[in-house]
Amino acid sequence: MALPNQQTVDYPSFKLVIVGDGGTGKTTFVKRHLTGEFEKKYEPTIGVEVHPLDFFTNCGKIRFYCWDTAGQEKFGGLRDGYYIHGQCAIIMFDVTARLTYKNVPTWHRDLCRVCENIPIVLCGNKVDVKNRQVKAKQVTFHRKKNLQYYEISAKSNYNFEKPFLYLARKLAGDANLHFVESPALAPPEVQIDLAAQQQHEAELLAAASQPLPDDDDDQFE
Amino acid sequence: MSSADPEHREEEEAPAVGDDEDTGAHVAPIVKLEEVAVTTGEEDEDAILDLKSKLYRFDKDGNQWKERGAGTVKFLKHKATGKVRLLMRQSKTLKICANHLILPTMSVQEHAGNEKSCVWHARDFADGELKDELFCIRFPSIENCKSFMETFQEVAESQKAEDEKESADAAGLIEKLSVEEKADAEKKDEEKSEDKTVEKESASGKESKAVEDKKAEEPASSA
Repeated sequence: MALPNQQTVDYPSFKLVIVGDGGTGKTTFVKRHLTGEFEKKYEPTIGVEVHPLDFFTNCGKIRFYCWDTAGQEKFGGLRDGYYIHGQCAIIMFDVTARLTYKNVPTWHRDLCRVCENIPIVLCGNKVDVKNRQVKAKQVTFHRKKNLQYYEISAKSNYNFEKPFLYLARKLAGDANLHFVESPALAPPEVQIDLAAQQQHEAELLAAASQPLPDDDDDQFE
Repeated sequence: MSSADPEHREEEEAPAVGDDEDTGAHVAPIVKLEEVAVTTGEEDEDAILDLKSKLYRFDKDGNQWKERGAGTVKFLKHKATGKVRLLMRQSKTLKICANHLILPTMSVQEHAGNEKSCVWHARDFADGELKDELFCIRFPSIENCKSFMETFQEVAESQKAEDEKESADAAGLIEKLSVEEKADAEKKDEEKSEDKTVEKESASGKESKAVEDKKAEEPASSA
C-alpha cells in the first residue's frame, strides 16, 4: 500500500489525484484545508505538489495524500505519470469560465486511462461568484460518466468538506462514515516571561492595525 | 434554431442537483474500517461560552493576517482543576484551529479597523506543539464580540484570583507549621519545670507548700 517516497503512517492512507484546468482553484482548495487560509494570488503549480491531509472519522483517522497537479500544459511535467496508483480523484473546473468545464472530458479520459474504476468527484468551484457562466443545470457530464458532482467554493467554504467525505465513504464502503472532532489535547502549562510578553504586546499593537483579508466580506456560514 | 435545440434539450434533461444523491459509479472498497469510540478531549470540561466565529493568525513574514478557520470558539472550564482554555474548531471537518489556556497575564484588545473583531497573543497548542501566535477573531455581530472580550477578561481575572488563592493557602500552611513548632517548644519548657518541682519536693516539706501555691497561680496567669 505504501507508495514510493511517501512516509508510512499506521492508519489508512490514500493517493488522491487532483486535476483540472489551470486557475480553477485546485491549489487554493487544498491550501484551504491544510492551513485554513484562502490564497487569492494565482501561482501556477509546476509539475505536482503532494500534501498529506488528515481527517478524523467515526472509524478512526485517515489520510489523503493530495497530488495537486499542474493545470497548465506547459507546467505539466510528467503529466499523467502523476496519476499512477491513484486511488481516488477530483476533477476541478471553474463555474465562471466555460472553457474549464468543456475540458473536463479530456481530463477524465486521461485520468481513466491510468486509473481504472476509482471513485471520482467532479467539482464546480467559485460558486460564490455572482456572474457564473456554467449554471448548475448545465452540468451533466457526471451523470454520463458516473462521477459524483459537488458545487463548491474554496472562498466561502461552501461544500468544501464534501469531496473528501464522499471519497472516504467510497473507499471504505461505508455510507454512514462521517467526520468527528479531532482530539483536543490539554495544552501544557507555560512559563510567563515578562520581557517576551512586552514584545508580544508591541507586536500585537502593530498587528491590530493591519486589515483582515476578507474585511469587505461579512458572510458567516 | 437547430443549433439552439440540443443545448435546450440538455438543460431540460438535467434534473436539479440533489445534494446527497450518489451519481458515482459503484467501486469496490479498498479498506475495511471499524467504528471506534470518539474522544473529543472535552469530556472533563464545561463550556462557558460557545460562539460562531472566524479566526485569523498574523503572518509576520508577510506582515498580514491570514485565515486560520471558520467555525465555533469555546471557553472550556475543567471540572476538576478549574483551568479554562480556549478551543476553536473548524465547521464540517471539526479540525482544531486554536487550543490554548487562558492565563492571568493574558488580555484581549479591539482590532483597530473592525468593531466585530479583537486580537490577543497566545502560546497555541492546536498542532500538538506550543507556538507563539497573534490571533484575531471576528464575529457576526458587535454583541458577540463584546461577549467574547468580557468573558476572556473575566476568565483571566478569575485565573489570577485562583493563582493568588493558591499562594495564600501555601502561606497559611507555613504559618501553621511555625505555630506548631512554638507549641512544641513551650511543652518542653513545661517538662523541665516539672522536673525541678520534683527535686524541691523531695528536699523540704515547707518549700514544697510554697511551690504548690505558685503552681496554683500559674493556670490563672496563663488564662
